[in-house]
Amino acid sequence: MEHSGSFLSFVSDHLNQFFTYTAFANVTSGHLIMICIGLIFIYLAIAKEYEPMLLIPIGFGILVGNIAFMPGLKIGIYESGSVLNYLYFGVLQGIYPPLIFLGIGAMTDFSALISNPKLMLIGAAAQLGIFGAYAIALLLGFSPSEAGAIGIIGGADGPTAIFLSSKLAPELLGAIAISAYSYMALVPVIQPPVMRLLTTKKERLIRMKPPRSVSKVEKVLFPIIGMLLTCFIVPSGLPLLGMLFFGNLLKESGVTKRLADTAKGPMIDIVTILIGLTVGASTQATTFLTAKSVGIFALGAASFVIATFGGVMFVKIINLFLKEGNKMNPLIGNAGVSAVPDSARVSQVVGLEYDKTNHLLMHAMGPNVAGVIGSAVAAGIILGFLS
Amino acid sequence: MKTIRTVIRWALACFILVALLFPGSLLAQSTRDLKINEILVLNDSNYVDDYGQHSAWIEIFNSAYNTVDIGGSYLTNDPLNPTKYYIPKGDPITQIAPRNYLVFFADNVPTRGILHLNFTLEETDYVAIYEGNGKGLIDAVKFGPQKPDVSFGRLTDGNHEWGFLEKTTPMANNFTGTVESAGEKFVEMDPYGVGMAVIAMSVVFAALILLYIVFKNTKRIYSINLKRLFCRECKKEPQEESLPGIEITGEVNAAIAMAIHLYISELHDHEEAILTIKKVSRTYSPWSSKIYGLRNQPR
Repeated sequence: MEHSGSFLSFVSDHLNQFFTYTAFANVTSGHLIMICIGLIFIYLAIAKEYEPMLLIPIGFGILVGNIAFMPGLKIGIYESGSVLNYLYFGVLQGIYPPLIFLGIGAMTDFSALISNPKLMLIGAAAQLGIFGAYAIALLLGFSPSEAGAIGIIGGADGPTAIFLSSKLAPELLGAIAISAYSYMALVPVIQPPVMRLLTTKKERLIRMKPPRSVSKVEKVLFPIIGMLLTCFIVPSGLPLLGMLFFGNLLKESGVTKRLADTAKGPMIDIVTILIGLTVGASTQATTFLTAKSVGIFALGAASFVIATFGGVMFVKIINLFLKEGNKMNPLIGNAGVSAVPDSARVSQVVGLEYDKTNHLLMHAMGPNVAGVIGSAVAAGIILGFLS
Repeated sequence: MKTIRTVIRWALACFILVALLFPGSLLAQSTRDLKINEILVLNDSNYVDDYGQHSAWIEIFNSAYNTVDIGGSYLTNDPLNPTKYYIPKGDPITQIAPRNYLVFFADNVPTRGILHLNFTLEETDYVAIYEGNGKGLIDAVKFGPQKPDVSFGRLTDGNHEWGFLEKTTPMANNFTGTVESAGEKFVEMDPYGVGMAVIAMSVVFAALILLYIVFKNTKRIYSINLKRLFCRECKKEPQEESLPGIEITGEVNAAIAMAIHLYISELHDHEEAILTIKKVSRTYSPWSSKIYGLRNQPR
């Protein structure tokens, strides 16, 4: 009897001990809130098709990262030696973003930009959002490095935001990445009201000249000259710009189809999975649910609005100097924020609301891809000044 | 393709020219990045070595952002004998981490280990480090009379200015004040971010304006007929002039082709041939690729 009693207590002790290891024993309200956020991301991705390629890995990553556990089991993303920690290494060291840029370069067609180079300037103007958010972040008491990392959300470019925040403010990386991707997904909601507010009906009806055809030589020269020029000016943007233009050269050279296919296919898919999952998992409630994160989300929204304002207003200003017939439709100004190709699609959709036959998509792709270059250049400048 | 080949040749020629003109940049990240950073000649009660002895010491600083192996180089206190102390190769201790330090003890007892030199600093006012060939000077410092337990070093790591340091800092940063980050310094001057916005937006614009200028003129540049420019006889030959600025679309070409076809062929009331614009089947099309890449509008 005595022996069986001690056995029962042994079983109950170990069951109790096991219970302390379970997530039920360790869960906090913060974890539950984050799990709800993760579920919302997954819902938005599946039901609303908002950036599903990103929101599904990030949403699921948030679920993974918010399973409460006893520290010391080498399973958490912040625990050295855990599998997730190894995968997160690529985010922390800024390895994944340049690889994603390689893929983006291999799938981006710069013809719209080459055929009408003045569209590049819209991509530059829309970077105003980055520096607007930077200034507001400084006013709100964020440190210079944090402000720089938060500002880049206005570049509307996930990999660039991750790259810069991993260098300047790794502790805010999760919040910045989630904010950037969330607002990129919400571009169809954020941008149209700003675009309508800033434009007249007459401006929205402007028809732009069809773009000219672009020769192969121009397409091959673009990544080479583009890389040399931009990286000579901002060498700190080299990891992003170098890979972007390299990927584009693989595509346009026409002789490295296999490499281009890999870069824009399996490779970018693998890296997207890894970056999405680990960024999501990095949002553990204990590190993510802070006042700073709330501030970052507010600044992220502001930066998108300012960026859209910058792009649209710039087109309106440029139009003052262009002859009738050469004018640009200000509805393509929003596309300068990058967020490829969603913001260009917003230009198309809003344009069609006012003229069913005025297709702005191809025109908007110019500032859209220029925005990618512009935000990478801006990231390089911020890194140069603040790191 | 001929134009591309010409461009590639010119690019290669430029690269080789730059490499020849600026060889220094190609030597980056080598023992050349090593600096004599701090020395203590009269060590009465200061830093002790691993034998508990107070010896003169020399701190070497790796100013590079990669690990540099000092092994195989020479340290000396005699300008006439640059190969006085050979630092053995292959020992992990000689690997100096990025922006890190290594201290050698000038105690003239080399049997104590590779960090103990075969000379002292008392009878000299010179220390130098030489490359493995014994000829290439990496860094040298000449110092005057020294004070006991006060080190002589660069005021900040790797910098040019030398002086007596307030604190001896073997294996540590020579500057012992609070180090402000680049961001903090920047914000001191620009607390509201206006300067950053102006500078950065100007640079972004400059970069993209440069691209704009280049690509606005690219077509003109690469379509220049170099042969015609440099060959006098060719100039005399009548050339087929392309009409600048006039783009002929596929539809126009099709209409011209149809007109020629009707002109050459006999006209019929009922045509047997069917003229149509067939969509070229290819994996890539410059204006449609993005359309195909787009997802459906979110519901």
